[in-house]
Amino acid sequence: MHGEEQKVLGMDDSISDFEAHFDLFPKEAQSIHSPRSLDSSHQPSSPYVSNTVYLSNKLNFQFPVSDSLLNFPNVCLLTVVAEGYWLKQQSMSPYAGSMYHGSPLLLSVLGPLTVKRIEGQPDHLLCSLLLVLADIISAILIRATGKILQMAYRQSLDSLNLLQASKSSDFLSSGDVAALVYLWNPLTIVACVAQSTSPIENLAIILSLFGACKRLVPLAAFGWVVATHLSLYPAILIIPVILLLGSGPDAPPRKLFLQRGCEKFGDSSSNDSHRPRMEVSPSKLPIAFSWRSLIHFLLWTSLWSVYVLFLCSVLVRPYGGLLEMFKRTYGFMLTVEDLSPNIGVLWYFFAEVFDFFRNFFLIVFHMNILFMIIPLAIRLNHRPCFLAFVYIALSSMLKSYPSVGDSALCLGLLALFVDQLADMQFSFFLFCGYVGVSLLSPAMHNLWIWRGTGNANFYFATAMAYACFQIILVVESVSATLNHDRKLRKLSASKLGDGKS
Amino acid sequence: MAETETDIPKMKPRPIVRLGLFLMSHSLLASIVCCSAGVLALLLLPVLAKNTYISENALMPGSANPMLSNQDIVQANKLAEDLSDLDFKSAETAGIQRRRLIAQYISNLGAEASYHKFHPPMNRFHPLHFFATPDSEMIEGSTNCSIYGVNMVGIIRAPRGDGKEAIVLVTPYNFGRSSQGETLSLSIAFSVFSLLTRVTWLAKDIIWLVADAQFGEYPPVAAWLRDYHTPAFGSFGTLGAEMCCKTYNIYELEQDSIEQRNLTDGLKRAGTMAAALVINVADKNEPFEDSLGMYVEASNGQMPNLDLINIVNYLAVHRQGLRVKVEKFWSLLGSKWLKILGEVFESLGEVAKSLNPQWKFGIPAADYVEGTATLVSSLYYQALGIPTGAHGAFRDFQVDAITLEISPRVSSTNKGRRNEFLLRGGRLIEGVIRSVNNLLEKFHQSFFLYLLTSPSKFVSVGVYMIPFALLVAPLPLVAASLYADGNSKNLSPQNGKSTSSTTVAADELGITFRSWKWLNAARKVFVVHVWGAIVSLLPYFISQIPDCSPEYRFGIWVIFSLLVLLILYFILGFQLPLAQVSRYEKGEWAILKSVTISAVFIGLCLMSVINFATAEIGALLMVPTCLLACPLKLDTEACNLKSVTRMVTNLVLVTLSFPPVAFFVLKGVVEGHDGSNVGDFWIWVESLWAWNSATYLYMGMVHLPCWVLCLHVLLHSC
Repeated sequence: MHGEEQKVLGMDDSISDFEAHFDLFPKEAQSIHSPRSLDSSHQPSSPYVSNTVYLSNKLNFQFPVSDSLLNFPNVCLLTVVAEGYWLKQQSMSPYAGSMYHGSPLLLSVLGPLTVKRIEGQPDHLLCSLLLVLADIISAILIRATGKILQMAYRQSLDSLNLLQASKSSDFLSSGDVAALVYLWNPLTIVACVAQSTSPIENLAIILSLFGACKRLVPLAAFGWVVATHLSLYPAILIIPVILLLGSGPDAPPRKLFLQRGCEKFGDSSSNDSHRPRMEVSPSKLPIAFSWRSLIHFLLWTSLWSVYVLFLCSVLVRPYGGLLEMFKRTYGFMLTVEDLSPNIGVLWYFFAEVFDFFRNFFLIVFHMNILFMIIPLAIRLNHRPCFLAFVYIALSSMLKSYPSVGDSALCLGLLALFVDQLADMQFSFFLFCGYVGVSLLSPAMHNLWIWRGTGNANFYFATAMAYACFQIILVVESVSATLNHDRKLRKLSASKLGDGKS
Repeated sequence: MAETETDIPKMKPRPIVRLGLFLMSHSLLASIVCCSAGVLALLLLPVLAKNTYISENALMPGSANPMLSNQDIVQANKLAEDLSDLDFKSAETAGIQRRRLIAQYISNLGAEASYHKFHPPMNRFHPLHFFATPDSEMIEGSTNCSIYGVNMVGIIRAPRGDGKEAIVLVTPYNFGRSSQGETLSLSIAFSVFSLLTRVTWLAKDIIWLVADAQFGEYPPVAAWLRDYHTPAFGSFGTLGAEMCCKTYNIYELEQDSIEQRNLTDGLKRAGTMAAALVINVADKNEPFEDSLGMYVEASNGQMPNLDLINIVNYLAVHRQGLRVKVEKFWSLLGSKWLKILGEVFESLGEVAKSLNPQWKFGIPAADYVEGTATLVSSLYYQALGIPTGAHGAFRDFQVDAITLEISPRVSSTNKGRRNEFLLRGGRLIEGVIRSVNNLLEKFHQSFFLYLLTSPSKFVSVGVYMIPFALLVAPLPLVAASLYADGNSKNLSPQNGKSTSSTTVAADELGITFRSWKWLNAARKVFVVHVWGAIVSLLPYFISQIPDCSPEYRFGIWVIFSLLVLLILYFILGFQLPLAQVSRYEKGEWAILKSVTISAVFIGLCLMSVINFATAEIGALLMVPTCLLACPLKLDTEACNLKSVTRMVTNLVLVTLSFPPVAFFVLKGVVEGHDGSNVGDFWIWVESLWAWNSATYLYMGMVHLPCWVLCLHVLLHSC
């Protein structure tokens, strides 16, 4: 059985082989539509993918529910990578098949692995192992980031003399919690089982954040460049990364330290309160924005991007060069060409919208993300890591082809801030919402696609609910963090008051 | 100082939050109103049912005169006689001969005939069948080579069609020893089939499947459909069939016949199926007139498109003069309280009419009782999730199908009478096929989600969702209010204690995780749901034990489930460190109840999407239990009238919502109390899982865990 399956799936079969396969059947056999091909939106376009998808449905290897449980956008599926690789092996452009829209680098890293098979094991086993590995490395990096963040948090509390107060209750190790949340999150597992490439994109993002926290400028630049190269949206993370490199990890608002310094100074010489802050004991103050690391970062970024672009141009030279690559990858993301259903809301919207409004709404939706960048950066500039989380959450909601892998990352990062978010409102409500939506949406999808008794609105309703819950999550977490800052300010003020009286 | 600190972070809540708070504070009233309104709305459904109408204009039922003539009937009778003449000693040889005879008749008509061999499926537990694609089972070869059945398939290629679409006729027939009803249904199908080979209007291919009914009606059809929809690539698909090819050779008796050359062993196909009709002739006779029974429920409460039922009903009633009936619970027809309720509704309708003649509300009491009996049976069969006939197999492939059970009037031995019956049945089938033949797209105009209250009345999804929505609406409200209560209860003693500034500071730093306290309760709920998943897997292992009575198996199941519950309790019964503070606090049961109610809410909503009827019945059982659950200890301590009533209601509800008890009570109500024992329940449950019903999963993973949690709340030592 496996031999047969390999024959059909085999990469060395050329297109004519496939046609021969089809020609084997009498006319009436060809005219059969299996129930799943009745809906047009779900129909894969190239013979290879239709075959693989069909067979993987039929064989149900890996996981019986994987195809209907989640609707991964086509941009990030391993089968699509396999198709791109196959096209490339046939010395055609990987983008010729209209399915693959990822980076050529990913193709040359993952591609060979999609072909390698171990006898008696399911397909793509090596690739899946790679994805698992990526997830585990991500978790380790999250843990390390959490450690750094917590240390910084303690230090800043210490410098505000608030540590004694908080020592009474023990700190949870936020890094451990976040790593566990990331690894055990059903969404992460599902993303891995469905063989989406999102673990690799997530790894790049986390790598850049970790590098920035640890002040490893080359690593941060590398992570950012790769993440941007793979999925474009992480480009907005440049602001938090720069802030992290420039002024260190999350801390209470800088004003607090200034206030404190001034008060201290005011005690000694009451009439002169406008001293520059350098005069206050410098060790207790957060470091000023270091322009040097910014310049380092920019240098490294340009270096890495030139390198990546060079590699890409070498790889895609025969197939139309870099311009074609940009058009097929970033252009595909920005113009939302693929309208097959996913957990986002854009596919539905752009399926409905009139063609002559399309460009306008494309601009509106992408501006939506950009508009929020600056205000958030101003408000949360003292907490760059948290800012990065907010950006990731926003882009996972508004990006053109979102998948559950994105929200797995954002939930994992959320757990980094346990200390700040301890008093978050609606946590239970959000939890129930996430559980409910993640159970309902496969059922709705099943009703629409497989059973044919529902329609697109059923599934879209869950997608909207999901977006709402994500909005509430972002709003509540930001307000919880701001409240936390407010509390710290109160406490520090009262401490000062105590000191005076 | 403490005062200034506590009131600063307070902001005025947003309006939507305030609305939520208002509803939460009146949750008791809201839940009483909603629940009673939900039950009332459910009882009102037969009154609110609408008349069916044919929604797809292309169908045009009955617009052409039937062409089926006595000549076709004579042909069909000849086939029936020839078949009954072939009476051999051994059933097997008779079967082979009869197949050959039918194949010959089909070939003589100019249609293509082919055989399809299948192996009856084993009883297999396939819990994720709902999500899995239907053809996934084929791969896991399971077959016993010596047991197989052979279907006959005849295909007419439509002269005006492109071969992309087909209509399917199914007649279950036991080739070995056939009953009179089966022969009659074969005759009806053959007469229609022979007519259709001659007509010029056919735009869709016709497939006639004579399903080998020796293993029941459903398996042969399901097997044929699976093979039909699994085109073999290379020799891949036929592997399963090839495994046993040595034991099977249908031509071994007569190699040289000319007809046999036309027969192919490979499966012949036509196009996508537009609709399928399963024809049965009942062996029992009707006393007064020919009647037509419709069976429509497929697996997991899926229904065919209402238009298919409509055209069958329209043609049967208005063209052929058959009496159409759908299943109903006969025992409910005599029920007194239903009659009283019907009279109340009737008089209410009259009052409404006298106020405003435009209001057409209310139906006669007798209609109400009958509608309720039909509705209850419709709900029950949908909730079971077991298909009511061979048509169920089609729905898994998105093909609308229906079983027509035609019962002749008594004295069908009379030949003229019999021919008239055949003519009527045949013309009905012909009319339906002609209508479906007109279709340009697959059925999509009319409803897929509905409940029938009579053959010509239905309740659509928009109406029947209202009772359910009203029933479950209090759940989130009560959960939220309990959650808020539980949190504030814990907050108040802390605030009272916190006099020293350090604890205030700790409190203010927000490391108490007040808002994350529900995690502990959520963990408990999660553990119980894991238990539910384990428990629902147990029957699979128990069914492997040979020679065991159902009572005994049920006993084993109970013992094992209790054991697993205990183990899970001791292994995972530890407390999370961050929630340690809240362990002995007063509000713990409230939070636990709130999380339980949320789980019930999510589970019921999910189930209402998968199988509405199950969710409705489940909500009727579970919602009051969950809402009322309150620790018995509190009630016994209070010891006033209110608490005693609450305690008694709680106990009654918890007993009633335990699945076996609910089963027996319902069975007692419907069938009377004679001779029901524990084994019946076990057999019922086994049939549920053998048919891959989602109801089984609901019982194991939503209902039972939530029941256990309710019990836990009741016995909570607060």
